[in-house]
Amino acid sequence: MTVTTEMPTAPLMEVRDVAVHFGGVKAVDGISMKLEPGAIYGVLGPNGSGKSTLLGAMTRLTPMTRGAFVFEGTDYTRKPARAVHRMGIARTFQTVRLLEDRSVRDNVLLGVDAVGRSQRKEAAAQVSDVLERLGILEIEALRPDELSYGMQRRVEFARAIISRPRLLLLDEPTAGMNSAEREEIGGLMRQLLAEGITQFIVEHDVQMMVDTCDRLYAMNFGKLIAEGTPTEVVRHPAVQEAYLGKGAGQHA
Amino acid sequence: MQDVLNAATLGSIYLLFALGMALVWGTIGILNFAHGATFMFSAFIGHLVTQRVELPMLVIVAIAVAVGAAMSALTQLLAFQPILRRAKSQHAAEMRILIGGIGIAAIPLAIAQRETRSSPFGFQSTYSAEVMEIFGLRITTTGMIIVLCGLGIGIGLTVWLRQSRRGLALRAIGVDPETTAGMGVNRPALAFGTMAVAGGLAGLAGALLTFQLGAIAPETGDQLLIKAFAIIVLGGLGSMAGTVLGAYILAGAESFVLEMNWGTWVDAVSFGLIFLILLVRPQGLLGRKEVRRT
Amino acid sequence: MSTWYDMNVILIQTTLTTLLLALSIQVPLRFGVFSFAGVGAFGIGGYTAAIAMVRFEWSTWPAVALGALLAGAITLLVGLVVQRLTGLYMGMATIAFTLIVSVLAVNGGDWTGGAMGLYGALGEISIPQLAVVVLVVVGLLQLTELSSMGRRVDAVRDDPELANAVGVNVVLYRRMSFLVSGLIGGLAGAMTTLLRTTITPAEVNFHLVIVSLTAIVVGGSRSWVGALIGSIIFVWLPTWIAFVAEWEKVAYGFIVAAAAIYLPNGVLGVIKDGWHRFRTRDERARAAAVAEEA
Ligand SMILES: Nc1ncnc2c1ncn2[C@@H]1O[C@H](COP(=O)(O)OP(=O)(O)OP(=O)(O)O)[C@@H](O)[C@H]1O
Ligand SMILES: [Mg+2]
Repeated sequence: MTVTTEMPTAPLMEVRDVAVHFGGVKAVDGISMKLEPGAIYGVLGPNGSGKSTLLGAMTRLTPMTRGAFVFEGTDYTRKPARAVHRMGIARTFQTVRLLEDRSVRDNVLLGVDAVGRSQRKEAAAQVSDVLERLGILEIEALRPDELSYGMQRRVEFARAIISRPRLLLLDEPTAGMNSAEREEIGGLMRQLLAEGITQFIVEHDVQMMVDTCDRLYAMNFGKLIAEGTPTEVVRHPAVQEAYLGKGAGQHA
Repeated sequence: MQDVLNAATLGSIYLLFALGMALVWGTIGILNFAHGATFMFSAFIGHLVTQRVELPMLVIVAIAVAVGAAMSALTQLLAFQPILRRAKSQHAAEMRILIGGIGIAAIPLAIAQRETRSSPFGFQSTYSAEVMEIFGLRITTTGMIIVLCGLGIGIGLTVWLRQSRRGLALRAIGVDPETTAGMGVNRPALAFGTMAVAGGLAGLAGALLTFQLGAIAPETGDQLLIKAFAIIVLGGLGSMAGTVLGAYILAGAESFVLEMNWGTWVDAVSFGLIFLILLVRPQGLLGRKEVRRT
Repeated sequence: MSTWYDMNVILIQTTLTTLLLALSIQVPLRFGVFSFAGVGAFGIGGYTAAIAMVRFEWSTWPAVALGALLAGAITLLVGLVVQRLTGLYMGMATIAFTLIVSVLAVNGGDWTGGAMGLYGALGEISIPQLAVVVLVVVGLLQLTELSSMGRRVDAVRDDPELANAVGVNVVLYRRMSFLVSGLIGGLAGAMTTLLRTTITPAEVNFHLVIVSLTAIVVGGSRSWVGALIGSIIFVWLPTWIAFVAEWEKVAYGFIVAAAAIYLPNGVLGVIKDGWHRFRTRDERARAAAVAEEA
């Protein structure tokens, strides 16, 4: 732990000593963090360091070994996954997971199909807006298998933000995109932040993380090895060693 | 004691039938619903041939084994392989393989029913069963052959799967198809061979049961299908030793029910076993949890 | 028109009852639940309605309602018991349940008429009344295929974890699919029995499972329209082609196997895909052009 500043506001999300073990594999092993509203948080870490598993636990899809989650003052550790979405936490998956027989529009609407009726109506009115912002309005009638991988990722993204969550969890949102597209998505994230959506991002692209995030965490072997501002974390020796490999210091 | 021996004969027939199904399902993950039709049709071809010429037992059995192997291999080539190639996931393939097997099974069944007008058929053979007496217990020579074949092949397959290189590759496919593919195991070829072996076992079972009973009906295969499923689930999918055990347990339980004069309940034994085992111990008696593919 | 109707009354009746039975299997499949308990519900509904009429002298519609409700309740209970099983295991456990229903019917003594079954359940159901019942069922199912509900159901089937992640109560949906399957299956059984005035244990067999399952697979498993297409094909095909009439069961086998291999979403799937391609030809051209540039 490098910096721990006392903030007057209550945290949006609190992760308390969370662990997820698969048999002998300690995928996540005692992680604690506090996410304040109005910021973009990023998690760096080499392959298999437990980032996706952490997101799985945060959304209650992956059963956890110990720990607790508190969102907006409510402890939801024992609530089912579906309740997490209704509380205002939405996510994307590392692999694209779309309904293959459904159009792009239907896939995006699925993001609000199980919320309250009034919220669903409101969102349905904005669906064209959301599609437009992600550049997929023109292809809204197509099915996922008719789209490029990058386009599929955008649909995945749109489905997560259509419900206007207060916390958005993104698992490698720009994987498979070229640098222009990455920049575009990065811009969109900043816009969403301005609209009040706090974000928690897992990414491999260090440059993008440094450009987009307000605060970074670094993970290895299921544990946090550094946290702080993007430059602090990227320069942190443990991070250099774990994530970039020995002798890759000049990279950042 | 005589009852135990009778149950052992019944169990050996179940075993011969179930072994092929268990081998295919436990390794390459295919639940072949055409197995019963393969079993029946192999015996049926034997019946057609022996209508022309009287043959010795060994030749008839050889014909049935060859027909069974060919049918099963063709099923794999023409139906299951294309389904596996097209399906996006193992899960999606599962149901289509089940349905494909049902469709394939309807064809030989319809042909046999048409030719025999749905009445039982048997062989004309130079072989005639004799009753032997061992330690005061009576068993026919056919019964003896069935018990020896059932136990011999059951134990042989168990050992072969455990010890041989190819057996190892097969078991590995059952546990983790992706990794084994990466290790250079030729999955389609192995699947083809496994299906052919299973079909041969079905043919063997068909011929031997026909010798034992004198005649079988075209629908006999369908009834054995559910029993075989019960046996595999009971023993534990992926465990050949479990299948051997399961076959004799089911036969023992059914013989007991018959012995108590509860004849109309005899079918409920296998159905009830399926239900009970899946709920209480889904991995079966000897199965390991990881091996169970769902 | 009216002479055509008079000539084909029986076929129309069979199409409607087959459709109901097929729907009772299709509903759980649409929710990703591989359950054939609907066929067991068919037996329960049929026997309940017949017993109510024959033994207690109930009138037709109360007997039908009792059959459907009891079948729905029992199927829901079975669902609660087997709900943690997956894939083929769920399928076989529910087939076992169905066959147990038939064994119970054989052993029900005076209540069920034993192996002979029950006779003289003279229900008063006209074809228009049957049609209205089917219309109501289909209308309600249509609601589960439209807009938001339809998407939720698709998600529960294709990716339950995703469904959970967007807030859908997957477990509840799947339980409800058992209830609905039981209600529709019970309705089908009760109406079929009272139309024929008789039911025997032999009717509630594996074959009935296969008939309803194959109708769905050939027609299309994602919508009631597919079940309708499948029911029409299997009931009417023999009357259309004389050749098929003679080799009906062989043709049936080929159709089912071909559908399993080549039409994962049945005839309806082909129609829907064709319509989708036609409707989106401009969008696809544009998307391709964009991909070209990039
Ligand atoms: N369901 C599971 N069962 C067993 N082990 C698992 C399971 N899911 C993940 N693991 C293991 O947990 C560890 C962490 O995996 P995780 O997917 O969280 O890593 P990650 O940081 O997201 O990696 P990547 O950058 O490759 O996405 C890995 O060793 C993985 O093999
Ligand atoms: Mg990951």
